[in-house]
Amino acid sequence: MDGELLSETFVELTDTMVAGFDVIDFLHVLTDRSVQLLDVSAAGLLLADPRGELRVVAASSEAARLLELFQLQNHQGPCLDCFRSGRPVQAADLAAAADRWPRFAPAARRAGFAAVQALPMRLREQVIGALNLFRAGPGALAPADIRVGQALADVATISLLHERGMRHSDTLNEQLQAALNSRVIIEQAKGKLAERLGVDMDQAFSLLRGRARTSNRRLSDLAQAFVDGSEALTGPAAGGSGQRRADDGQLRQPPRPGPRTRS
Amino acid sequence: MTGSRPGRIWGLVARQAASHRGPVSAGDACAAAVAAVEVTGAWLSAARGAEADHLMRATDEVSEQLAELQLTLGEGPGRDASTFGGPVLASDLGEVDAVRRWPVFAPAALQAGAAAIFAFPLQVGAIRAGVMGLYREQSGSLSAFQLGDALIFADTATLLLLDAQRQAAGEVVGGSGPGGQPADLALHRAEIDQATGMLTEQLGVGIAEAFIRLRAYAYAHDRGLSGLARDIVARRLRLSPDPDLCQDG
Repeated sequence: MDGELLSETFVELTDTMVAGFDVIDFLHVLTDRSVQLLDVSAAGLLLADPRGELRVVAASSEAARLLELFQLQNHQGPCLDCFRSGRPVQAADLAAAADRWPRFAPAARRAGFAAVQALPMRLREQVIGALNLFRAGPGALAPADIRVGQALADVATISLLHERGMRHSDTLNEQLQAALNSRVIIEQAKGKLAERLGVDMDQAFSLLRGRARTSNRRLSDLAQAFVDGSEALTGPAAGGSGQRRADDGQLRQPPRPGPRTRS
Repeated sequence: MTGSRPGRIWGLVARQAASHRGPVSAGDACAAAVAAVEVTGAWLSAARGAEADHLMRATDEVSEQLAELQLTLGEGPGRDASTFGGPVLASDLGEVDAVRRWPVFAPAALQAGAAAIFAFPLQVGAIRAGVMGLYREQSGSLSAFQLGDALIFADTATLLLLDAQRQAAGEVVGGSGPGGQPADLALHRAEIDQATGMLTEQLGVGIAEAFIRLRAYAYAHDRGLSGLARDIVARRLRLSPDPDLCQDG
């Protein structure tokens, strides 16, 4: 495990007091760093909505995001079990988990995953969500990786619930709802960009994130500007509508933590 | 899921509409929220493009005053909710934080008789349709359950408001007649949002229009919104800029 990256990640996950804090960016840090630090190939995150449902708020890849959605749509899967019980849930071999999750287990295998570990986002009695870690190969996650994964989830949870000078549940709810709507804006922007460039949703998302990082803007602000039409995104490098070439192909690799893209 | 929470709330909104024997409107969602969320009053203002908010409904005089104050002063929880893109839960307008945030509005609202204001943007991602405001004479937070209900009332009002804009233009809209509950906004909708984004390009329209056209197409072709959206995202279906395709047939 990369010790330097681990300590940088803990710093990032406690750094919520800055102006312009963006919950979505913050939760993407959690899923991305989980993949970089732990022996897993993808990560997805569900948070509870006061409407009484769980919502997918971050994922390290489109495959992981779709699997999180699949669990919600089918009302089954490790992330849901983990959220309901408030305890970690694991399946070291999804090929043997068809009894446990008859719909989820085959879907996860079709998506290229062989094992899964779900970790609760919990502070004392309050469970606010769950982090799902997916592995391409079968086998349980090493105990050390589970501890680190849980520690990352714990730190993120505490940071989110941190008293920020107001009643914290009100503040968290305000931020969570804004984050959920940001997620919708991002999906709308992905659709628009995917259609314009003839790329898939994963590529569209990488392009959006890459552009947000290089222009030092919040992803949700950039997505809003693109959807509103006040920003073209396909810029001089990509030519414009109809071009297939991505302007930042290398950004599919998440960069090492540096200055956060905040405005 | 039938018998769901949005279903229960739709029932309350429909009952509110039945009391005046009119079609279900966003104002009914606003009015029905008062009893359900246990607040003193509510207002709803619609965004009109870049124009200032247009007050569509106020359940009492205080609500009307609160909406007008924000319009006049250019500050307040409703204003912030639109800008911020999330609810603003001001559970005690006498608190230092509230007064610091709205130095003119907070004392004026207290004077008018509101001790707490909860403002909800009527939005679907980048689509901004307006704001629903709730107020209480007594300070105090909404319970988690009340907050959940308030959010679903706001979701319902959003769809009704978007449909009303379309109906005003004389076009067919999807699934919000007295019998037809609007599709659940909150659940499983990434494909719906992606398809909406794709339609802005396919149809050459803005995001609100794309969303309305998507729902109208689903309604006219008797299809579920999610399944339709999945077909669009998988590029099995394209919609044509010709609006006739959104009509029946």
